Order: sequence, then C-alpha cells, then structure tokens
Amino acid sequence: MKSRRFGLLPVIMLAMVLGMGVLPAQAAKIRVVTTLTDLADFTREVGGDLVEVRSLATGVEDTHGVPMKPSFVPIMNRADLMVLVGLDCEHAFLPALLEASKNPRIQKDKPGYVDCSRGITPRDVPKSTDHSEGDVHPDGNPHYTLDPVSAKTAIQNIYTALVAFAPQHKAEFGRNRDAYLARLNARIAEWEKQLRPYKGTRFVSYHEHWPYFAARFGMYYFGTIELKPGVDPTARHIQELSAAMKAEHVPIVIREPQFPERTPRHIAELTGATMITLPIMPGGVPHTETYIKMMDYIVQTMATALQNRK
Amino acid sequence: MKTMITLATFCMLPFCSTVAFAQTLEDRLKTLEETLIKQQQTIAEQQKLINELTTEVRQPRSPASPPAAASDQPAPTDEIQQQVQELKEKVDQVAEAQTRTFPSVFNPAIGVVGETIFGYRSKGSAQTGSDRPGGFDAFQRSVELNAAASVDPFAKAYLVVNGSADPVTGELAWGLEEAALQTTALPWNLELKAGRFFGEFGRLAYIHDHELPVVNRPLVLDRYIGGESRTDGVQLNWLLPVEHYVSLTTGLGTQFGGDAPNPNNPGDNRRFSGLNFWGRLSTSFDLSPEISLEPGISGLWNPHTVDRGGALPQPDGSTFVERERRLVGTDLVLSYKPLRNNQFQTLTWGTELLYSDNSFDATDSSGGSQPGRNVGSLGLYSYLAYKFHRQWSTAFMFDWVEDPQNKHAQTFAYSPNITWSFSHWNQLRLQYTYTDHNAASALAGLRPDHALYLQWSWIIGSHSHGWQQR
Repeated sequence: MKSRRFGLLPVIMLAMVLGMGVLPAQAAKIRVVTTLTDLADFTREVGGDLVEVRSLATGVEDTHGVPMKPSFVPIMNRADLMVLVGLDCEHAFLPALLEASKNPRIQKDKPGYVDCSRGITPRDVPKSTDHSEGDVHPDGNPHYTLDPVSAKTAIQNIYTALVAFAPQHKAEFGRNRDAYLARLNARIAEWEKQLRPYKGTRFVSYHEHWPYFAARFGMYYFGTIELKPGVDPTARHIQELSAAMKAEHVPIVIREPQFPERTPRHIAELTGATMITLPIMPGGVPHTETYIKMMDYIVQTMATALQNRK
Repeated sequence: MKTMITLATFCMLPFCSTVAFAQTLEDRLKTLEETLIKQQQTIAEQQKLINELTTEVRQPRSPASPPAAASDQPAPTDEIQQQVQELKEKVDQVAEAQTRTFPSVFNPAIGVVGETIFGYRSKGSAQTGSDRPGGFDAFQRSVELNAAASVDPFAKAYLVVNGSADPVTGELAWGLEEAALQTTALPWNLELKAGRFFGEFGRLAYIHDHELPVVNRPLVLDRYIGGESRTDGVQLNWLLPVEHYVSLTTGLGTQFGGDAPNPNNPGDNRRFSGLNFWGRLSTSFDLSPEISLEPGISGLWNPHTVDRGGALPQPDGSTFVERERRLVGTDLVLSYKPLRNNQFQTLTWGTELLYSDNSFDATDSSGGSQPGRNVGSLGLYSYLAYKFHRQWSTAFMFDWVEDPQNKHAQTFAYSPNITWSFSHWNQLRLQYTYTDHNAASALAGLRPDHALYLQWSWIIGSHSHGWQQR
C-alpha cells in the first residue's frame, strides 16, 4: 500500500514530458548537427536554405569541454548529418552523446558522420599518448580551423557530405560553396596582408590552439601556459615560461576566453608582453558570430596589439 | 630409357624454377630501379619549379606595377606566393608526420583505475557496522581493469574486472564486476544490454566508486540496493521519439546489488517470479543554457525472494528471511554548468529518496514461526558539490536511512570533503564523516563515529566517461 505514494509519479512525469515534447514536425530540410560553431557557419553557407543547422556549442565553450546536456540527445537522434572537427577534438563529450542519441545514421564510420579533418595534414602528432604528456590527441592537434586555408578543407568535406546526402541539390551546394570560398579567399589575402609585417612574431597561449594559425601567418608559437594539454600550470612552469619569454622578448600572450584571465595577465605583467583575448570559434567574444567575422577579429586584434608595441 | 629421361627431367625442374625465379627477381629489381629514377627525376623537377617560383616571388616588383592595395583581388604574385607557401607547408608536414611513430590505436581500449583509502575511525567495526576495522586503516579498495570495443557493426562489449582487498585477510580478491554486450544498431531508438552490468536504478547506484562525489557510497544505496546495482540479466532502454529527452529503461536479472552474498533463489529450480524486475524513467529540463534539472523515478521488484542475505537476526532475538523485495525511488539533479568555463566552475545538487517495502518471514528466538511482516522504510542522500577551480572542488553529503528490517532504527551521516585533482587522472580527496544513530539503532550496538578518509585515485590507459557519468 505504501508504495502507492510513488504510484502517480511516473504518470505525471510522462504527461509533462510528452506534453512538452510532441511538437509539429519541421519542414523537410536536411537536419545537421555540428559540434562547434565554425562548422555550423560553414554548413549554413554551403547548405543555404536547404539545411537546418544546430550547433552543440554556442561559441564560448572550451572545444574539448562542451557540457553533455540531455537536451542535445533528441536533436542528435533526428539528425541526418553529424559534423565534427575530428582528430579527437570532441573526445570528452561526443562519443557518449552519440551513443545516447541512438541514431545509427550518424555513428562513426556511417555516411552521416562527417569528420571535417579528412584531408588535413595534422600537426604535432604525438610520438606517445602517455599521460605524462598530458591529454594529448593521438591523431595530432585538432585546432586546424584557426588556419583559414585548412578551414577550406572542412568546407569541402561538408559540401561532399551534403551532396552525398542530397545529390539532387548538388548544383546549389556547389554554387553556395564557390561563392563562400571566393569571399573567404579574398579575406585570407587581406588577413595575410595585415599580418605580413609581423612575420616571425613569437607568442604564447593558454592552450595549444594556435599552431595552424601560427604556421599560416608566419608566426612562431613559443609555448603554452598550460603545463601540458589539459594540465594546469605549476608555479615553476609559470616562472620558467616567463623567464624564457623575457629572454626571447615574446610580445604577445593569448588568452582564450574560456580560460581565466588571472594567470595570462600575471605572465603578461611579469614579462612586459601584451595580453589579448582571442576567440577559438565564432561567438567566443561579441561581434564574432561568423567564421569570417571571428578571423577578422583575431587578425585585427593581433595586428593592433603588435602595432601598439612599436 | 624413357624412365631415365623422365627422372632426369624431374630432377632438372627445381633448377629451372630457381633460374626463372632469379630472372623474375632481376626483372623486379630493374623495374624498381627504373621507378626510383623516375621518382627522383620528378622530385628534382618539382624542386626546380619551387625554386623558380620562389625566386620569382622574391624579385622586387617593377615600379610600374600597380599597388596591391588598389584592388580587392590579390595580385598574381601574391597568389603564386600563397600557392608556393601552401605547397611547401604540405611537403614539410608530410615529411614531419612520416618521421613520427603513429600511436597505436588500441582495440579494445584498455584502462586501469586504482583507488587507495587511508582512514581513521573512532569506533571499532562492531560499533560502526563496517567491514573495515576501527582505528587507523589503509587499504587498496579497488583496482579496476576496464576493456571495451565494438564486437561488430551491431554491438559493443565491455568488461570491468575488479581486484579488492579482502577485509579480513587483506588478500587481493579478483571479481568480475561487469561484462556485458550492448547493441548499437537496434531500430526504434532501442538499446539492449545483456550480461553482468550495473542496472539502471536512481543516479549513483550504477556509478563506480571512484566517480562518486564522496569517498563512500551513500548509506541508503548500501542498505537498500546492496552498494552498486550489479545484476546478471538483460536491460532494454528506449529513447522516446519525442522532441524532449525522455529515457525509459526496464530489465530483469537474477540479482540486484553488488554486495548481495548470492543471487536470489540459488537452488536447483528458479521460478520466473524469483527474478528481479526493475525500471527507470528519466528526463531533463534546461532551465537556462547553464542550469539543468534532471528528475527520474525508479522501481525494483523481486516477487519471490529466497535466501537473499540469508537469515537476518534482529535485536529482539527473532530472525527474518526476506520473502518479497520492493523498492521505489525518485531522484533529482540540479546542475549549474557555466558554458564559458565549466572546466573551472560547476555547482551540482543531487538527491535521491528511496522507499523500501520488503516482506519477511519471521521466526521468534525459540524458532517458532511468527506472522509475516512488511517493513516500509525510507532513506535518502543529498549532496552539494562545488567545483571552484580546475583542480579543486568541495562537496557535502547528508545521509539518512531507516533500517530496511526495522524502520525505527535510523542512521545519519554528514560528510564534507575537499578534492584536489592534480590532473584528470590523478586525484586526492580528504573527507570527514560523522555518523550518528538513534536509540533504536543503538540497541543493535551501533555508536556515533568520527571518521577521516584520504582517498587517492588514479587512472592509466584508456578512460572515457559514459553518458551515465555526465
């Protein structure tokens, strides 16, 4: 008899969630879920009106630490395509979400699993995945989209996946892609021009987000504030890094917005470097809603910081 | 003569084949040499082209050239420079990647989790009801070997082998904690699991020790479930096809609870009603982008229990034998995870209320049969965990539980702790626990107890947090 205290609970809960959950079906667009906001932007550019895109990240998160929300699960359950950075970038949240989604179309190695790193030559492939080297990515550094030329490979992968899913729209996808790439190429030329005077500039950042960016713009990635990937700095590491930065006159400390400001600012003060806050995906800071706007912001902020030091 | 010719021919055959093989080797070598020469020529031509283009790019522009800024489109030399740069980078990267040893991708993924507890308890085991001695204590609570991999395109499998120190002898005893097959390609949002696994009941019953927010499993889970919700059986999960997250799970198995001394009805014939049946319904609401509420309800029923826990002596001298097991629970997790810096700051409130309603056959102290008894008892835990730094977090758990055989006997516990994570794989936790009992529990000899624990847990190899550990 006493167990009847709980008897009504399942009925109430089920009624609540069903009442909330059964909504009118959306128009027949290609449903795409992306892990990060840069991939969402690329997909919207290539897919145009034919796609409905949801990004798991809003832009302000750590790319390796997007919270696993149950509300993501029904969205992924209905997805036609799952677009991801790859190179193990999403290892902390995507495998569990994929399993929970129970969507066989988007599981790894299925056509709906769109790994945008296909065709990317990875940098910093570790010789060992031993944890003494921190939370290393076995396949190499996954932050290639911060190099706009490598980003073109991701765009091409998204285009290929969309065409494979809806070949009847190949022409439209092709037009969209070409138009976007033309805009992007023009911006790349501009970004290179803006940063050309600063070739050879050394900088440090909190996490290893910037090796592809540094290589693209001829800069030198001096080191990271993290002791190892995913491992917070020790006092000794900060001391050694600061001493090395002073000796080599490293002018820039990049702080990614998802990391606290205190340590990067402290290092900047110790070394006389300039600290700048740069987003790692669109939406990371205000007025960077698209990839091109984000890269504009990154390049402009970097160039201004270096110009002001002259 | 004919025989001689045949014999001679037969003897010559191996030599002929050797010569032919040698010729084949020579041919292959020659072909390889030619290919190599062609490749060297190609590389030399490409290098020459790169040098020419580089020289061209580095030559100063003629004064008559229009300034690049005059047009939005990049000048031809810029395009060439960009192409050369991209080509050189590709070549460099390929060369660099080839010099490195590509790390092995394990199949299956294998990892080990270790957990050592250093402790002090102010009372002895007879007064705490614990299987660990009072006073100073150090023991290797567990070493878990995990392995997981896909079986085929339709299923994956995993196992967890646990080694722990015997509380009496201190000897290491290995046991199979989990070994299960899980489907990955069933239609209609279904997922089937079979084997030995932690059945889905509540929130913390199917979490391994090292992933708990406190050192010890909540008292109510220890008393009502038997620690971890281990079962040998089958479980079906259904993600409801609606636009809101709703998960429904049901299962059956021969036992439910890791610390149960044996499966129910271990005799030579088990009725269907001798199995355990359980179910869980859970959902989630995003109250804001950073705050979520996850409620759930669970139920467990074993209609015909025989010998689960054996004869259970009572303080009044009578003895209980469980005849039917019924357990229901409701749980709630409210969490605040700031999107921007959730690696550095989170706040979680979790609570779980369980109601046990078991039936017992009773015998008095002289062995005479007594009327059967139903004992309805309640228990709960509630904790608040606050992560205030990437490496630091603190938590407080409150426990309250009525004895499932005597609801008048109550136990309370208060456990604050602080955790220092050197890294994701290496963690120290310091916890104080004060345990108290009411008068009815004191009749059983239990006494208030102060305990201090230092838990050191570590992980090597592969380790991933599943959906349930989110």
